[in-house]
Amino acid sequence: MAKSVLEFLEVTKRYGDFTAVDRMSFTLCEGEFFTLLGPSGCGKTTTLRLVAGLEEPDAGEILLNGVPIASPKRGLFVPPDKRQMGMVFQSYAIWPHMTVFENVAFPLRVRRETAAEIKRRVLQVLETVGLAGLEARGATEVSGGQQQRIALARALVYTPAILLLDEPLSNLDAKLREQMRFELRALQRKLKLTILYVTHDQTEAMTLSDRIAVVNRGRFEQVGPPFDVYEKPATSFAGEFLGRTVMFEGTIKSNHAGRCVELVEGSGRLFLDQGQAGRFAGGEAVRILTRPEDIEILPVGELSQNDIPAKIEEVAYLGDHFEYHVHAGGHSFVLSATKRERHSVGAEVRLRFDPARLNTHPR
Amino acid sequence: MASSATTVAFPRVRLRLRPFRLAELLMLAFFGVAMGLPLLFLLTGSFNLSPPGREVVYGFGNWVRAFSDPAALSALWMSFILSLVRLLPAMVLSVLFAWLIARTDMPGGKVIESFCWIAYFVPDFPMVLAWVLLLDPNFGFLNTAAKSLPFVDGAPFNPYSFWGIVWVHTATGGIWFKVMLLTPIFRRLGASLEEAARVSGAGTATTLRRITLPVLSPMILAISVLSFIRGLQSFNTELLLGTPAGIYVYSTKIYDYIQREPAAYGEATALGAVFLLVLAILLFAYWKLLSGKRKFTVVTGQGYSTARVKLGKWKYPAFGGCAAYIVVMMLLPLLFLVIGSFMRRYGFFGIDAPFTLAHWQRLFADPIFLVSLKNSLIIATVTAVGGILLYSTVAYMLVSRRTIAAPALESFCWLPHILPGILLGLGVLWLFLSTPLRHVLYGTVWGIAFALILSDSPVTTQAFKAGLLQLGADLEEAARVSGASWWYTYRRILLPLLGPMAAAVGLMNFGSALTSISTPVLLYSHQSRPLSILLLEYSFTGELERGAALGLLITVIICAMMFVARKLGLELSGSR
Repeated sequence: MAKSVLEFLEVTKRYGDFTAVDRMSFTLCEGEFFTLLGPSGCGKTTTLRLVAGLEEPDAGEILLNGVPIASPKRGLFVPPDKRQMGMVFQSYAIWPHMTVFENVAFPLRVRRETAAEIKRRVLQVLETVGLAGLEARGATEVSGGQQQRIALARALVYTPAILLLDEPLSNLDAKLREQMRFELRALQRKLKLTILYVTHDQTEAMTLSDRIAVVNRGRFEQVGPPFDVYEKPATSFAGEFLGRTVMFEGTIKSNHAGRCVELVEGSGRLFLDQGQAGRFAGGEAVRILTRPEDIEILPVGELSQNDIPAKIEEVAYLGDHFEYHVHAGGHSFVLSATKRERHSVGAEVRLRFDPARLNTHPR
Repeated sequence: MASSATTVAFPRVRLRLRPFRLAELLMLAFFGVAMGLPLLFLLTGSFNLSPPGREVVYGFGNWVRAFSDPAALSALWMSFILSLVRLLPAMVLSVLFAWLIARTDMPGGKVIESFCWIAYFVPDFPMVLAWVLLLDPNFGFLNTAAKSLPFVDGAPFNPYSFWGIVWVHTATGGIWFKVMLLTPIFRRLGASLEEAARVSGAGTATTLRRITLPVLSPMILAISVLSFIRGLQSFNTELLLGTPAGIYVYSTKIYDYIQREPAAYGEATALGAVFLLVLAILLFAYWKLLSGKRKFTVVTGQGYSTARVKLGKWKYPAFGGCAAYIVVMMLLPLLFLVIGSFMRRYGFFGIDAPFTLAHWQRLFADPIFLVSLKNSLIIATVTAVGGILLYSTVAYMLVSRRTIAAPALESFCWLPHILPGILLGLGVLWLFLSTPLRHVLYGTVWGIAFALILSDSPVTTQAFKAGLLQLGADLEEAARVSGASWWYTYRRILLPLLGPMAAAVGLMNFGSALTSISTPVLLYSHQSRPLSILLLEYSFTGELERGAALGLLITVIICAMMFVARKLGLELSGSR
């Protein structure tokens, strides 16, 4: 793996009684796009601000390129202006009294670069973010999308160690957001940027990131590449936050066909694949998470190994597909199905599960 | 069903609009007489050679006489110079205070802010008196203390001088008001603007210099202009400190003209008219400034404004500096006001039994005091209640957007903002003397209350407008749709929601009516003399100890009322 740029070690941040970040640890590697994904108030923005130096940690240690930049136990705290970070704020924080050029030039001016160098680099970075020709405009006279690019240019102009992005796309309209998402990804690949990205939008997280950390109550629920986090949610929170999940509870049983999970109230059984089955002992209480799109609705008939009986409670027609509220295994949940087959309200059906996509966890 | 509902609804709507139109016309007529006429008299009265109420004789004599008097011109000039000279230190200090309170981790910021708030409401005249007790060349405590030092010859301080006036102004009205205006502005500034600068590599000082102050500069400039204009309207300090030294500003000069025997109404009005023009130009510039193109709209994100600038080792010195300023500028003179009111002969600490209750006893036994107290209470109550009734109605008309005369009403309400108290008093005096109102209002408590109600109009109307706008039409409309009548809606929805604000505004107006000198000073008679004028008379006749007692009494009443107002939850900052 590439060299690690940022190490976040057991960091805690408290506001009075409220623990915003709770002994959180992660490592950010060179050229990596790392996303903190979570609901508002989960501590993701606080984490970003701790990296930027806008908040002081209460415990733990933060290292930049192996050198501590914040360490309460050593009484060490490097202020934000000495950290060589670039940051894009959710509000963009465009200084209204300056032109586009001056906004972007500011980090170079405080670093006392020569006028010629400032001009060269500002024009270059404005070109990169697609704002060439706008440098003389008042910074708040331009559109929201352009302000966003100014903020990005300002953060990139002096080649920061890490680019910190705090929900940068959330103030844009849907179309612009999509466009900026692709541009951001392309830019990151081209400039080999190390990015720490904060968002509550799962599409952004999925499409942009090399790795995602699902954050909840100041802790990581799960960290991994988007594919792993989506396909193998470690917790029901992680599963629910990234897409939709269906959850069953049951107990491990062994019978002639192998290991299976006996669902509550004897409403059916689901067989696990070899890899998962070996991890549990007989009689252990477990929770199964799976994705609704991995469940097939079949007309009533003989139950095969991974089928459970179900009943249609409600049908909604959405034009391109149907949505069924089904009751099975002691739960009601929503499944989508193509228009090819129709089931009416009250119909008895079978649900077929894919054993490879059942994620089993101890309860 | 539907058709019967419409047939019922139509006549109702018409019936409801008609009283509204009537009220609107009444209101316009009232303001036309109460505010339009005094202004007209101020502008035309200067060309009238005969005194008010007599047959009008037109001519330029007043102008010739007023402006061939070199003292009149120098008084105008002095007004500007005084207001300008004291602006700079006050602005620098108040920006610093506001920044420290709102933007840094200075300890005790809330305490400092509260003290600024209290200091703003401490009436200025008793404080001027207190500074006289401290700085008078003959008996002032600081002078006697300094004289006892071996290397000091004579009295080093003299309040009856240009710099004395500047100093006392800085202490009384100087920075408190500006801090109150600036602190919320500093607070509202999105923290991310500063944080972006920090992350970009700028230190605390660079961020303050390159980002915070430039971003706020339009507001700071606007407040400077406003303070300058308010400075021009000042009267009390100049009257008490300037007159003995022969330093006149235009307001004390007007007072001087009216006090002459016979009163020189013409000259006073000519001087007032010139000043009115200058003020109008300044206010126009101010308004241009506020509505100018370069208004910075700052997009603020989620409220992450918790991060404050870390002062490090400067934390405690900063607090110490603010605290010391408050102690010297406010608490020290207050203390001497207390001491003064209990001293047999102020300044003589060495005599036998220097402390006594006699001044307080004599004050409360003085029949003039009791009459003045009664007058003041009547005036202040009428002003407060009348102001609430009048301006809540006006604000409702303006906010409802149904009124056709909104621009006229609005400008009438803003007029007193241009008119300094002394000019308003002069205009109202003309109105009383030249119309039949003379028999009802001239020289009575009602006349004084009338003028004070007028002077309260900008603040009160704006407060009610803001309150009503905040409520939004929805709440009221929802009640109406739910079936409540207009009166029921007013009683159960508007009144409970606006009540606390109305009470707070009322208390504030009550307080300012109690302390105002410049407005009633031309309007009172011996029967209608209020407490504030009595205080003025005590200080003119040299009864400093009794004056200190009375000043202290007024101060205590005002402070107590302002605490009640604050408890009622009125955010005053920015409304003035």
